[in-house]
Amino acid sequence: MNSFLSQSFAVIRMNLLSLPRRLWMSLAMIIASAVVVTILLAFLAMARGFEVTLKGAGSDDIAMFLRDGSAAELNSVLSKSQVDLIENAPGIAKDKTGVILSSELYVIVDGIKKTSQTAANIPLRGTSQTGIKMRQDFKLIKGRLFNTGTTEMIVGAGILRQFDGFELGKTIRFGKNKWQVVGVFSTGGNVFESELWSDYRVIQNLYNRGSSVQSIRAKLVEAGDIKQIKEYIKNDPRLNIDVETEADYFSAQGKSLNYMAIFGKVISSIMALGALAGALNTMYTSVADRSREIATLRTIGFSNSSAFVGTLFESLTLSALGGLLGALGAFLLFDGMSTSTLGGSFTQVVFSFELSQDLIVQGMKMALGIGLVSGFFPAWRAARMPVLTAFRTE
Amino acid sequence: MTDLFLVYKNLTRKKMRLFLTCFAIFIAFLIFGAVSALKGALDSGVEMSADNRLVVINKINFTQPLPFSYVNKVKALDGVKNVTHANWFGGYYQEPSKQLMTMAVEGATYFKVYDELTIEPENYTNWMKNQTGLLIGERIAEQYGWKVGDKIPISSNIFSHKDGGHTWQFTIQGIFKPLDQKTDTSYVILHYKYFKETQTFGGTSVGWLILTTQSPSLNEQVAKAIDANFVNSAAETKTSTEKAFNKAFIEQIGNIGLIIYGVVFMAFFTILIVVGNTMVLAVRERTKEIAVFKTLGFSSMRIFKMILTESFLLSFIGGLLGMVGAYLVVGGVSKGLAGILPNLLIGPNTWAQAIGYMLLLGFVTGIIPAINALRLNIVSAFSRA
Repeated sequence: MNSFLSQSFAVIRMNLLSLPRRLWMSLAMIIASAVVVTILLAFLAMARGFEVTLKGAGSDDIAMFLRDGSAAELNSVLSKSQVDLIENAPGIAKDKTGVILSSELYVIVDGIKKTSQTAANIPLRGTSQTGIKMRQDFKLIKGRLFNTGTTEMIVGAGILRQFDGFELGKTIRFGKNKWQVVGVFSTGGNVFESELWSDYRVIQNLYNRGSSVQSIRAKLVEAGDIKQIKEYIKNDPRLNIDVETEADYFSAQGKSLNYMAIFGKVISSIMALGALAGALNTMYTSVADRSREIATLRTIGFSNSSAFVGTLFESLTLSALGGLLGALGAFLLFDGMSTSTLGGSFTQVVFSFELSQDLIVQGMKMALGIGLVSGFFPAWRAARMPVLTAFRTE
Repeated sequence: MTDLFLVYKNLTRKKMRLFLTCFAIFIAFLIFGAVSALKGALDSGVEMSADNRLVVINKINFTQPLPFSYVNKVKALDGVKNVTHANWFGGYYQEPSKQLMTMAVEGATYFKVYDELTIEPENYTNWMKNQTGLLIGERIAEQYGWKVGDKIPISSNIFSHKDGGHTWQFTIQGIFKPLDQKTDTSYVILHYKYFKETQTFGGTSVGWLILTTQSPSLNEQVAKAIDANFVNSAAETKTSTEKAFNKAFIEQIGNIGLIIYGVVFMAFFTILIVVGNTMVLAVRERTKEIAVFKTLGFSSMRIFKMILTESFLLSFIGGLLGMVGAYLVVGGVSKGLAGILPNLLIGPNTWAQAIGYMLLLGFVTGIIPAINALRLNIVSAFSRA
């Protein structure tokens, strides 16, 4: 056993030291596995960033009410009488002024995207002081809050990153109406930062919504407990309403870019097959290149398993180098990159690519998988190479 | 003849390497073909837009409505040929996740503006007579297996039926087909009037207007006239060509698309570089043999040609197989994805590009060893060993 280990170490050392002799083929294998890993990580980081942005917006102690079947705030409508009924629902927290509840509107307006200079959908959310307080991560970065009853708005930090013309102090025209930007806010990077906020009553008025709203958020007495509310809604035929925790709502919305992760996995797996073919070529060349060496070692008493281990280790080293290089590439190119796309509510969601550690682990696994398969068969050949024929080949 | 035989022998001397190299090229072109098809599908809306068609939307955003009166006001403007309008219904079939692109339109003018769509005159007359009638696009008919006469429920995630619930019952009265297969027909249309009468909000607003101009040269003038006409009104408009409108819509998806293509094409070229490297080395191994050929009296030019032929052959075997693979894959999934991504196909442009890249790969990988062989000095080649 001991001699197996020491033999293996010796062979591994020789293999690695002889790498410069096969510089181009070895580089080819490193680059091929690096590119596969970069691609996989780019897509995974994109899907992850999007998911985190939406998930981070949802809170477990807030119940969210939408018209049944509407699936997104944009499609929902709730009447004033329904809002009144919800205010009396059980399980909703109260403070001095009454139930902690925010009626909100969600209309879409145009913003000019910096990257393309074309109009894109941005949500203008009608909310209230209570609504703002319900967002725990809310922080005013610049300026002040909008005054109730005015056409003032505050702008999310994400909007400023991706769109032109929403800077503090600017006057914005949506159709006939003029709005003033009086503040910039952050919500810790989540999707609310991709929104414009103002007083919901003003929006009701300017967008002919009468007294209707689109969604209701209510603080729960006990986090996650919406059973009583569900029961209450079920027993009242006037309430054709779906209720779920805000956390559940946003985690469902966050899944809408999962197809990117799937697409990335499929395309990088196919590409891994291509890289595998290249890597096998490299490793077979390596075995052929060292055939004399291997034969010599076998003649002086090295075991064939040490030849096997040596080749396998060489291949794993190359692919691991490729994997690290690929992860580094993905990190430099994509991590933290800010972009925006259409989310589930038909509006732009500004988010950043997020290359977290577990994703890098996934990338390394793929690289080592390539190394293992592309090392195994050539290593098998190296181990079984008949000593005599190895000497005969020049 | 003998030359080709020699090329064949050289290619197949190491069967494993031949297979692996071909396979890597195969994968590269498979991905190239499939991703190009995906890109083409996303861009097809822009490509298929009519030259003289304009879209009028609310200036605030296209999800905001316009007053119905705008239809006649726009019709009265100079240079306007036909005007029709549409409302987004937010339709789905059975499950909210099974979205069905549904629009409420004015039947009398819709097909005048979208004149690239055809429908049996008899079916059209029946539809016009039936309030609850529905027309479906050819792609929808294929996807769901629906036929004329079928009764289907369509639900809305926005509107409620005034009789309660969100589901409307429709009878399919006809299937509209495109003149050009690339035109998107993966949607269904219902009567605007019926829609307005049966949904709870009532009102007479329309979603957007679509119009044709007398000639594409009038587009700009007409667009300006329309927007000027409604300036300072409660609902200001933004008029753009159909092409610009579709393009802006695709831009909404954002540079994510760009990132995908960037990353994938980077990968495509990397695989080619890696493979090219292998091919160059494969010829270098044979330096001595080439010296033998020269000694035997093969002309340098003949060897040069043989090596180039070999690299082109390798590139084309792998490349063409990859493109055929992409063709099969795209053909296989295009039906399933017709609802989300119509026009998923490998167009002539993609084929031309692919062949271009195969030529490039064959040339780049063959030319260096071929020139080396051309210049090879017999004596130094033998003495090198």
